[in-house]
Amino acid sequence: MIWGIFVLLTLLAISFVLYPLLLSRSSILTRRDAVPAILADQMQEIERDMERGLISEHEGQAAKLEIKKRIVAAVRSSERKVASAACTGGKIPLVIAAVLAPLLATGYYLTMGSPNVPSMAFAGRADERAQNDDVAILANQLRERLESDPAGGPSEGWMLLGQTYQRMGRAGDAVEAFEVVAKREDATSATFSMLAEAVAVANDGLVVPQAKMAIDRALELDASNPAATYFESLYLLQREEARQAYDLLVSRLNQEDAYVPWMETYAAQINRIAAAADLPVVDLPSGPTSQPGPSAADVAAASELSDADRAEFIRSMVSRLAERLKDDPEDLDGWMRLANAYTVLQEQDRAIEAYRKAEALLKQRPADDPRRPAVRDALEQLGG
Amino acid sequence: MFPEIGHFALALALALALVQSVLPITGASRGNTVWMKSAQTTALGQVVFVTIAFTALMQAFIVSDFTVRNVVENSHSLKPMLYKVAGTWGSHEGSLLLWILILAVFGAGVATFGSNIPAETKARTLSVQAWISVGFLSFLLLTSNPFERVFPPPLDGNDLNPLLQDMGLALHPPLLYFGYVGFSIVFSFAVAALLEGRVDPAWARWVRPWTLAAWISLTAGIALGSWWAYYELGWGGWWFWDPVENVSFMPWLLGTALLHSAIVTEKRDAFKSWTILLAILTFSLSLLGTFIVRSGLLTSVHAFAVDPERGLYILGLLTVSIGGSLALYAWRAPDMEPGGLFRPISREAGLLVNNLILAAATGTVLFGTLYPLILEAVTGDKISVGPPFFNAAFIPMMLALVVFMGFGPFLSWKRADVAGLLDRVRFIAALALIAALAAWYLLNGGPIMAYLAILGAAWLLFATLREWALRIRLFEVPLAESMRRARNLPRASHGMTVAHAGVAVLMMGMIGSSAWKSEEIVFAAPGTDVEIAGFDITFEGAEKVQGPNYIADRGTLEVRRNGELVTTLFPERRYYPVAESQTTESAIRSTLAGDLYTSIATPASDQVNNAGSWTLRILYEPLVNLIWIGSILLVIGGCLSLSDRRLRVGAPRRAKRPASDAVPAE
Repeated sequence: MIWGIFVLLTLLAISFVLYPLLLSRSSILTRRDAVPAILADQMQEIERDMERGLISEHEGQAAKLEIKKRIVAAVRSSERKVASAACTGGKIPLVIAAVLAPLLATGYYLTMGSPNVPSMAFAGRADERAQNDDVAILANQLRERLESDPAGGPSEGWMLLGQTYQRMGRAGDAVEAFEVVAKREDATSATFSMLAEAVAVANDGLVVPQAKMAIDRALELDASNPAATYFESLYLLQREEARQAYDLLVSRLNQEDAYVPWMETYAAQINRIAAAADLPVVDLPSGPTSQPGPSAADVAAASELSDADRAEFIRSMVSRLAERLKDDPEDLDGWMRLANAYTVLQEQDRAIEAYRKAEALLKQRPADDPRRPAVRDALEQLGG
Repeated sequence: MFPEIGHFALALALALALVQSVLPITGASRGNTVWMKSAQTTALGQVVFVTIAFTALMQAFIVSDFTVRNVVENSHSLKPMLYKVAGTWGSHEGSLLLWILILAVFGAGVATFGSNIPAETKARTLSVQAWISVGFLSFLLLTSNPFERVFPPPLDGNDLNPLLQDMGLALHPPLLYFGYVGFSIVFSFAVAALLEGRVDPAWARWVRPWTLAAWISLTAGIALGSWWAYYELGWGGWWFWDPVENVSFMPWLLGTALLHSAIVTEKRDAFKSWTILLAILTFSLSLLGTFIVRSGLLTSVHAFAVDPERGLYILGLLTVSIGGSLALYAWRAPDMEPGGLFRPISREAGLLVNNLILAAATGTVLFGTLYPLILEAVTGDKISVGPPFFNAAFIPMMLALVVFMGFGPFLSWKRADVAGLLDRVRFIAALALIAALAAWYLLNGGPIMAYLAILGAAWLLFATLREWALRIRLFEVPLAESMRRARNLPRASHGMTVAHAGVAVLMMGMIGSSAWKSEEIVFAAPGTDVEIAGFDITFEGAEKVQGPNYIADRGTLEVRRNGELVTTLFPERRYYPVAESQTTESAIRSTLAGDLYTSIATPASDQVNNAGSWTLRILYEPLVNLIWIGSILLVIGGCLSLSDRRLRVGAPRRAKRPASDAVPAE
């Protein structure tokens, strides 16, 4: 459809360039015709003005004299510049232009355009908003349950709540939820790195002292925590220590042998720093870096919560992702996440189906794409 | 899908602009009619594709398509529909697209309506117009793509700027741009004339409607902007000499000079060099204005340095177009045939002085606007050049201009009869002096400059009316005869009278509202009385009210004069939760005599607030509405002139003629 319209527009553009060829026989207005015509009109106008008494006889005569002078001047100048015989040839440049112009436009568009991104009117996204509202209701229920728990509520519950808030864009609430766990004995490195992220997001992406403290604590508990390392690097970058920020990310990236999803975020950030600081870029299979919908970690966190709510909660997120993938079936990482989510939900058939989609998409990718073995392993484990 | 169609259409528009910038002008120099004709079709093609792009962007704003980054950043699903539409040109990218659309509209306008223009001139003009299009389309596509996509889209947009939710501002940029960009076609005509090496009355006739159309739009745009600032900003002023205002005012000043200079070229075959130079400079100032506003230079020179890509691109465009056209001018203008001669006292000389004063005034504004930027760039000091500088430098120049404006229309072309002139204006001058003295007697007090200004305004008004009366021989011949003469007068002549009278009216408004403004700022608890300009105002208290997308503190002010209730005003301080910002909604009692202007704010300190106190700002601005009325008169005058399709010849006076025949020449 869209390509059909592009073709129509292109044809229209070509016709705008070529149309003069059809007009080649019609005459054109030359200066030799146009100027005397104006002067003759002026002469008539003066006659009329004299008749109506707008100007006096004297003025009229003077003005007429003036115009006569102009006519003489116009004739003289057109004599001096012998009008070149009107030539109508030279069709080839027009045809070349008619070919080059659409090529140029198409060339530009193919590099810069996003023909596959659909339009989505706000009114047509009621379901998405409803789902979002559902999540909000579920989050509220979860919070009430956790707060009413005399034992303070399980840490996993608070973590899930924090992550949910984070995804809903309520960073301030997320910080509160993570802080509950951070004060407990069972706080892990992930607790602190998530807290750090929430604090940073709540402060417009700035690693403020509170976030820095959480990062330090997270790295103390687990020096290899990739999220904490990432925010540590962000902190360095804010202190304009780009080189250190870069080195930190690269060294952490090099510790991994196999592909892990966070690598793409790392690679994107490394390359951003590299572009600004003139450092070598790293090469990873690139893909969309920030996707909504549940990540493996979210689902894993949810799976630790033994509630009826939990399953419903996950399902709402998973169905959102599945819905989106229907519209955008080319999203490889989306399928991998969906498959992972179904695996956690122990819906084996659906997981296999999703992995198969991912496998199909991977065929177009380079042979050394690290996601290939990941999908293969997963399918083997699922017995698919 | 629509955004992508818009994006692709924009790319096609650029491609067509490239064709249009090369083929027609080559055709004009080689005498190839087919290539020349391609100017018309490509110009139409451009406007078609840019319109598609603009419509696509507008569609995205209307349906709140948050897959378009520009919509995410500049709209919100809760915005009222009108402001969603206006959001299309609210952002940097959108406003540039509008800029380009207007550029294309003017090009297509010449292609369509310029049937009396010779093909060669038209081809050259449209090619030059296409050069500008290429510059701006590539700027848009390469640095500020309005169709950048976000996927997956966020749930809602980020912007609900309440200040921008105002009718005045919704209409302001389009009108201002129509003026700004309208001068582009005049520029293109000028550059084409330089390339062709010929400027004559016919050329001036072809350019006239375009200059007028641009001037009218710019006038309306500036007036509307000023009106908006007055009603919406809550500061009670209508002009702040703010750089953003100045950059639109400078093309207006020079455009006004251009308008008058082009009349001389059309009627008397003179001032050719002036007209061309003014056409080039007027559009250059429009470009400079676009650059200053769009590069972020105004926020800070430093901000410009941080993200210089856009700024540098426009700076490059600016250098090429202004530098190139001025170089061409320097090279070709001296070859222009000399025009009609005139004496030191003549209509031509009067208009020359007008040109000089307007150019000097423009230079003053330019200096005051650029000096802080240059100083900041060189020394890092931040200063602001404010009203004191502009008032001291600009107002005397305008007063001199007004004196000449009064004289000008009485002068005849080529040589004027000094004795007859003085004879005719003596009475008016005396009348103006009496008016100024009467004002001094009645108002007892006020700055001397204000009285000089009153004198000037009265002189201009009386002189303009007197000149019109002379033209139709009012009271000299029977009234019916005068009416017949008035009907027969060319509309351009009525246009001049209305526009010049408009300036006088505008001046009255400016003088009244600046020299005799009264202002009171009080911390008021309910029950407080404030006295201003003969009004007793009682603050009855404030309450919270809920609007469609805001919460407001609404004050109630009872206005009494001589104990009688005149009106009740409800100024508001609104808070928009989504945008987290506040606006002032002033309440104004507006009459021809003056505006009673009130606004309310919560005091800065909470302690004061707890005591139930509010900050009230009450102003009385006499005659302020005359400013808008005068502006409307200017626009009407311009429209009258635009509707005049006549040709113009300036009939020179013969050296010796009977004094009784003292009708100014048309």
